[in-house]
Amino acid sequence: MSGLGPLTARDLKKWYRNPVSLTTGLIQPFFWLALFGYAFSKLGAIDPAAIDYAPSYITFLLGGVLTIIGLFTAMFSGVNIIFDRRLGPLSRFLMSPIHRSSIVFAKIISAMVRILVQVGIIILAALILPNGLIFAHGFTVEGALVIVTAVVLVAFIFSSMFSIIAVRITRPDTIFGILNLVNLPLLFTSYAMFPPALMAGWLSTVAQYNPVSWSAESIRTVILNGTMLTAAQGSQLLTWLGGLALLAVVMLLIVYFVSEKEIRE
Amino acid sequence: MMKAIETKDLTKIYGGHLKAVDALNIDVEEGEIYGLLGPNGAGKTTTIKMLTTSTPPTSGTAKVAGYDIIRESLKVRREIGVVPQDLTADEDLKGYENLMMVSQFYDIPTAKARETIERLLGLVDLKEAADRYVRGYSGGMRKRLELIIGLVHDPKILFLDEPTLGLDVTTRSQMWDYVRQIQEKLNVTIILTSHYLEEVDALADRISIIDHGKVLVTGTSNELKAKLKGDIIQMTFRTQGDEDTIKKYPNFIEIKDNGPNSVRMKVQNSDEELPDIIKYISENKLAVTKMTVQKPSLDEVFLEYTGKDIRVEESPGDFRKTMFNMRRVRK
Repeated sequence: MSGLGPLTARDLKKWYRNPVSLTTGLIQPFFWLALFGYAFSKLGAIDPAAIDYAPSYITFLLGGVLTIIGLFTAMFSGVNIIFDRRLGPLSRFLMSPIHRSSIVFAKIISAMVRILVQVGIIILAALILPNGLIFAHGFTVEGALVIVTAVVLVAFIFSSMFSIIAVRITRPDTIFGILNLVNLPLLFTSYAMFPPALMAGWLSTVAQYNPVSWSAESIRTVILNGTMLTAAQGSQLLTWLGGLALLAVVMLLIVYFVSEKEIRE
Repeated sequence: MMKAIETKDLTKIYGGHLKAVDALNIDVEEGEIYGLLGPNGAGKTTTIKMLTTSTPPTSGTAKVAGYDIIRESLKVRREIGVVPQDLTADEDLKGYENLMMVSQFYDIPTAKARETIERLLGLVDLKEAADRYVRGYSGGMRKRLELIIGLVHDPKILFLDEPTLGLDVTTRSQMWDYVRQIQEKLNVTIILTSHYLEEVDALADRISIIDHGKVLVTGTSNELKAKLKGDIIQMTFRTQGDEDTIKKYPNFIEIKDNGPNSVRMKVQNSDEELPDIIKYISENKLAVTKMTVQKPSLDEVFLEYTGKDIRVEESPGDFRKTMFNMRRVRK
């Protein structure tokens, strides 16, 4: 009697039934790729080494864009907890014999499903766009697994973080304020958009510890090099994914204990 | 027989100083409709919130369906259905989907849930609307949906918190019919809060009047009315001074001034007393312009015990302030 199933189904039903949220969700990836891809495409022309000799700038950028999509969608996943509180459904959940944490985990899981759909579309979009994605070393199941793992972990970490903040917030404008405060800083203190070589020294140091960088770089590594990695590349990749996994476990525990205790009317 | 609900000095203090419920002791028998009557801010909703385990008491305890509300809250939740004051259905889902989702919260097998939902939809005449989105429902339909959402798991006890708040008169009496049918057909104990006297009078087998978090009196509607001991006769006179003459009438329980040239007389039995009063009036040549007889109603009962008219409770002032504070600390 956890309630996780019906609550996740509810969120997904509301998502795919809303034509506007569905289409904007599908169009948005194209915008991201086209705008970012072409806005910064001159970087590669200046110095191919700066973008790790990627065959196109979009190929270099894809790891970043996939991570950002995951990050932004995940950050907004908690907002609906606040609306459920305001509009009434939350009190129904609270008086039912379900685990209170499943109210939060349902938001996290539905966000992850939405993100994975977007990730699939974005990869297709990148392949279609002129001067787009080129898998120079082929595309393997292992490569796909690395991409999915990185995105899923980023999505989990950030939707957990912002859902648990939303649990104790009663006004939507509060969470929007917090979101706007942290979204761009999180993005620009990471390797999602810019190669380390082009960053100011101090920023690059900060970026090394940003989980957004870990995901972007992991995906970039397999896209640019396939899965035949050097020992150094391989251990670096494992460090990044391991770091993400560790953070995800920490967030999982926090979500569980905080939401079981702290969600109330 | 086991009591459906039993509270022992149940107390809730909000924010360290606002005593919403004050050592409340009530017993609800199995199978009855029990009404909690009181003005807004009397502590009705807070009592319901504690009994339904969504708010813990500050002190005291209660047993609901035989389970302790603090130590066995999950068991309590399985045995009770709740229809809170505010709406809880998801507007972006269909009526049927809302019912199915809540059924799943209780791990009811799909086939059985379908059967129960169909029956409940029929009971409140919502079959037609079941496949429509709740956002398109009228106020009355929403309330009916809420009523059966609280019943999908076949609870032993149903809590109705102000079930007809904000509904028009016709819709309200419809709701009463539905509540009566639910009680008869589903054999469930119902605990109902309201600040509408007619509602409690029409539905409840037993009534407790509460104010400031305390029970003032408990009994059936007739018992409460009988406790008033007497009928009220109101009289208005044309000439000043007449009201002093009527005060010399020998056989009343109590008489009070009631505005200019007007009195309010309490007598044992108005049917027997009226001819004598009329005789007294004509013998003393009093000019009566208006005379009304009031048999006891819950209005008078309420006035007697709380010292205020339940209908003026929506006036501004201290009361508004209290409600505002309550809402704020409850959040």
